[in-house]
Amino acid sequence: MSCNPSFGGIGKGHLMREVDALDGLCCRICDQSGVHYKVLNRRKGPAVWGLRAQIDRKLYKQNMQKEILNTPLLTVQEGAVEDLILTEPEPEHTGKYRVSGVVLVDGSTVYAESVVLTTGTFLRGMIVIGLEMHPAGRLGDQPSIGLAQTLEKLGFVVGRLKTGTPPRIAKESINFSILNKQTPDNPSIPFSFINETVWIKPEDQLPCYLTHTNPQVDEIVLENLHLNCHVKETTRGPRYCPSIESKVLRFPNRIHQVWLEPEGMDSDLIYPQGLSVTLPAELQEKMITCIRGLEKAKMTQPGYGVQYDYLDPRQITPSLETHLVQRLFFAGQINGTTGYEEAAAQGAIAGINASLRVRHKPPFVISRTEGYIGVLIDDLTTLGTSEPYRMFTSRAEFRLSLRPDNADSRLTLRGYKEAGCVSQQRYERATWMKSSLEEGISVLKSIEFSSSKWKNLIPEASISSGKSLPLRALDVLKYEEVDIELLAKAVPEPLKEYTKCRELAERLKIEATYESVSFHQQQEIKEVQRDEALQLPKDLDYMTLRDVSLSREVREKLHFSRPQTIGAASRIPGVTPAAIINLLRFVKTTQQRQAAMDRLPQTDQRLCNTDKLEDRQL
Amino acid sequence: MWRGLWTLVARPARGPRSPRPCTRQGSGAPAHGSGATIFALSSGQGRCGIAVIRTSGPASGQALRSLTAPRDLPPARKACLRLLSDPRSEEPLDRALVLWFPGPQSFTGEDCAEFHVHGGPAVVSGVLQALGSVPGLRPAEAGEFTRRAFAHGKLSLTEVEGLADLIHAETEAQRRQALRQLDGELSHLCRGWAETLTKALAHVEAYIDFGEDDNLEEGVLDQGGSAWGVGGGDIWHLSPQRPPYSLSFPPSTADSEVRELEVALGAHLRDARRGQRLRSGAHVVVAGPPNAGKSSLVNLLSRKPVSIVSPEPGTTRDVLETPVDLAGFPALLSDTAGLREGVGPVEQEGVRRAQKRLEQADLILAVLDASDLASASSCNFLDTVVIPAGAGSPNGSSQRLLLVLNKSDLLPAGGPDPSPDLPPHLLLSCLTGEGLDGFLEALRKELAALCGDPSTGPPLLTRARYQHHLQGCLDALGHYKQAKDLALAAEALRVARGHLTRITGGGGTEEILDIIFRDFCVGK
Repeated sequence: MSCNPSFGGIGKGHLMREVDALDGLCCRICDQSGVHYKVLNRRKGPAVWGLRAQIDRKLYKQNMQKEILNTPLLTVQEGAVEDLILTEPEPEHTGKYRVSGVVLVDGSTVYAESVVLTTGTFLRGMIVIGLEMHPAGRLGDQPSIGLAQTLEKLGFVVGRLKTGTPPRIAKESINFSILNKQTPDNPSIPFSFINETVWIKPEDQLPCYLTHTNPQVDEIVLENLHLNCHVKETTRGPRYCPSIESKVLRFPNRIHQVWLEPEGMDSDLIYPQGLSVTLPAELQEKMITCIRGLEKAKMTQPGYGVQYDYLDPRQITPSLETHLVQRLFFAGQINGTTGYEEAAAQGAIAGINASLRVRHKPPFVISRTEGYIGVLIDDLTTLGTSEPYRMFTSRAEFRLSLRPDNADSRLTLRGYKEAGCVSQQRYERATWMKSSLEEGISVLKSIEFSSSKWKNLIPEASISSGKSLPLRALDVLKYEEVDIELLAKAVPEPLKEYTKCRELAERLKIEATYESVSFHQQQEIKEVQRDEALQLPKDLDYMTLRDVSLSREVREKLHFSRPQTIGAASRIPGVTPAAIINLLRFVKTTQQRQAAMDRLPQTDQRLCNTDKLEDRQL
Repeated sequence: MWRGLWTLVARPARGPRSPRPCTRQGSGAPAHGSGATIFALSSGQGRCGIAVIRTSGPASGQALRSLTAPRDLPPARKACLRLLSDPRSEEPLDRALVLWFPGPQSFTGEDCAEFHVHGGPAVVSGVLQALGSVPGLRPAEAGEFTRRAFAHGKLSLTEVEGLADLIHAETEAQRRQALRQLDGELSHLCRGWAETLTKALAHVEAYIDFGEDDNLEEGVLDQGGSAWGVGGGDIWHLSPQRPPYSLSFPPSTADSEVRELEVALGAHLRDARRGQRLRSGAHVVVAGPPNAGKSSLVNLLSRKPVSIVSPEPGTTRDVLETPVDLAGFPALLSDTAGLREGVGPVEQEGVRRAQKRLEQADLILAVLDASDLASASSCNFLDTVVIPAGAGSPNGSSQRLLLVLNKSDLLPAGGPDPSPDLPPHLLLSCLTGEGLDGFLEALRKELAALCGDPSTGPPLLTRARYQHHLQGCLDALGHYKQAKDLALAAEALRVARGHLTRITGGGGTEEILDIIFRDFCVGK
């Protein structure tokens, strides 16, 4: 955790739950290392709840290392990678080269069947404070220059992004007594599906504090723009995690929030979230001390900007393997994303696929109809990005179906069967939960009374008795003030059964809330999946393809993004409906030819996959 | 194996295992494994003997049952004569041949229905609109039938050769048609609505995605809606007193904008009776002072002696209605009593009825005597009827008016225009027929504006789409208001916006994000 001392948030929490559903580590480690757990968006509907926690950096590191070093059959070796070892490509796959290992900075080699690169901000990383710039991946670490050159030489399209981090402040120098205090949730909601509780009691957790900028801060920023080269650079920074300089420039005359967040249980550092800045260090300190509560604050480390290389993510497949180099996978900031959670999501998918690739198994791809991970990777691989990409719930068109509560139902079973990445214990729990939910919903649908009878049974609910149609228990559960507990009091048999497991009871309530819209959403999802089941041949050379009538412009776009399905192709801006139909026709011809060659009874395997996909989505 | 297991697990959710199977699902519930059901006019556009309207998808059976009088499905693949009526109003539409093709033995491989109706534009538009009102049905996108057929393996590769061209052409035609249909006022309206909705949605999305995590300044959403036009960041200010993380305020900017939009859409849908006009005829009311020649004009237009004509003022005392075909459009032509005061009680009642009919008119043919413009009754009529209508009525009705100066034969030949100060007008002589061609052409233009022009390409389809999406948008806005859960509220806005952007184009997520980052300072 080299930037903010927190995990999760809105959209990001969704990604974490999905990583956990695939048995990724970050949720479980966060449940052992948090110091302040808080679910965001509590009042806005369970589909957009954001699990979030302040994390103790030291504990996270310790717990993560313990977990990794105790993983059977895993060898951990530390060292900077300088170069890739490349060999001839496998003829049955696309790609100009094949990676077979890496060369470390000391000249030693590590051979590997597949390689995942997660370079963070290290590729030609450059740190900026005021007018000073020096090469570094992050403060105190060398950048990765050799590797960046290798990748560029191989023909990858390279871009440049920037980000920043705020200064750190000594805890004892802050006057918290005059600031707004925020206490954690009670009880704490764990991140992981397999945890009932977190490691620490709510009363033992640390508070956060809120303060604000003021016109003096604006003044310091505006007067010293000439001393601030990070702000002037043309490199794209995020619009949604801006430095205090860009906030002041874009939204003048406003007050901005600054959250004072603990870095850990026994840490004496405070992370002022919202104060990312690249002014010269002495001006940073001057700026800090004009903020309320920070009048006597001591800055222990200045904030700084980082500029780094990323590779246009349209050069990778949805399994995160590069088009150019076989068995080479990219994950995290190298693909233009920002944030731990986005990185974790890609890390899980890249890791799973690196392993599947070695075992000659089909890739494990999550569709955008199945998860935020799918949305993230589909956006990156079909649209690319020109600013650090961060997840929002508004990016997911099927937001009401892709909820934090049901990530296990969506992904755990697939992960277990197709990727083999899920533990037996988790698999069994997810299977039990899924079937209990389905049973519960069908029971709730089967109980029907008139609305006046419901009104008598549950006087607390604001049921309008005007309706002539009978109401199902599931409809009654939709009312805000009704939960399973209340329903079970009214209809103990058979509903009492469903109050025993708290998680099950809560999830049934959520399912009821979204039941009415889920039908429409399922229809749309099927339409998307139908197009995604139609795969485009991986080795298609769009520039020279003769059998398909496509414009030059469309050819170039397809050539660069290399969409794997008709669905992905149709989301590329500038690819027309007519071009899609031509591609469809081509796919169909190819399939028929293939089928004839294989002499298979079924001529249309790819289309048959549609049914499989449809069954998967329930 | 994977699939089998899943089906097994999935079963209880669909109901059969529960003690009392849910009757609500009924037979109308769309079949498993299905998308939306689409409909379109499959035969040529414009006037023709028979028009074929087709549906494809799981709700096809439901659609067929909803429109046909005996509510059972006809035998598969057998043509049956059925009375079609609008399921909402029960209004009969046509007596038509219907065919039922249960999937997979159909053109698309899905359940399909065909309605072979009489080819008049009124009938076709009526049936399309009736179909649009059946739950689960939506107008087809360009080439969608063929594409579904293709996806279900129903078309050979040679058959599909021309599909891309077809879709390209259809898309182009639809685009041109949409432009034509939506030019001017309507297009302006639609774009305005879409923008309002995109902005409202962006603000709700910002509230969801950045309200708590990203220090989205509190109170930004409960500012007055009018302030948003500026799009700047200096309008709202933080209220630091508000405790952190207790952002319980509703996104009321979005709320008020949505409310306004709802009113506007509702009014528009009620007002834009174009489809209905085309079906039942536009109301054309002939009005004017006594003895201006109104009845002569009615007789001329209906080509039969509907009204008694005499030189005596006040001959027509009641409202006389006659259905006519005016320049290819169906119209209900009403002759009215001349407007004047201070006469006997019978004629007075006639005047009252004439005025009432005037209020309901889609098109007023205002008739004045060209040789008698200075008279009190002419001036009074100009002041009370013609001028207000020309100024555009404040209640926003779409009433139109055509001013005709009759009896041009009484004017001195080759003389100057008798009335340069009048609003735009036409000279006509019902007696000699002089000026009739010009008048008919002007009338055709007016009616085309009122009814939509059925002779230019596929406007019926466009209109059905247009109305379908506006209604869909309105329904979704209703859901937005009811939703307690903000994610559901946002979904309703997404659906509403989806309907509008189907009309106007655009509608990506980036558009929303752009507004968010323009309007809000989000970030840690």
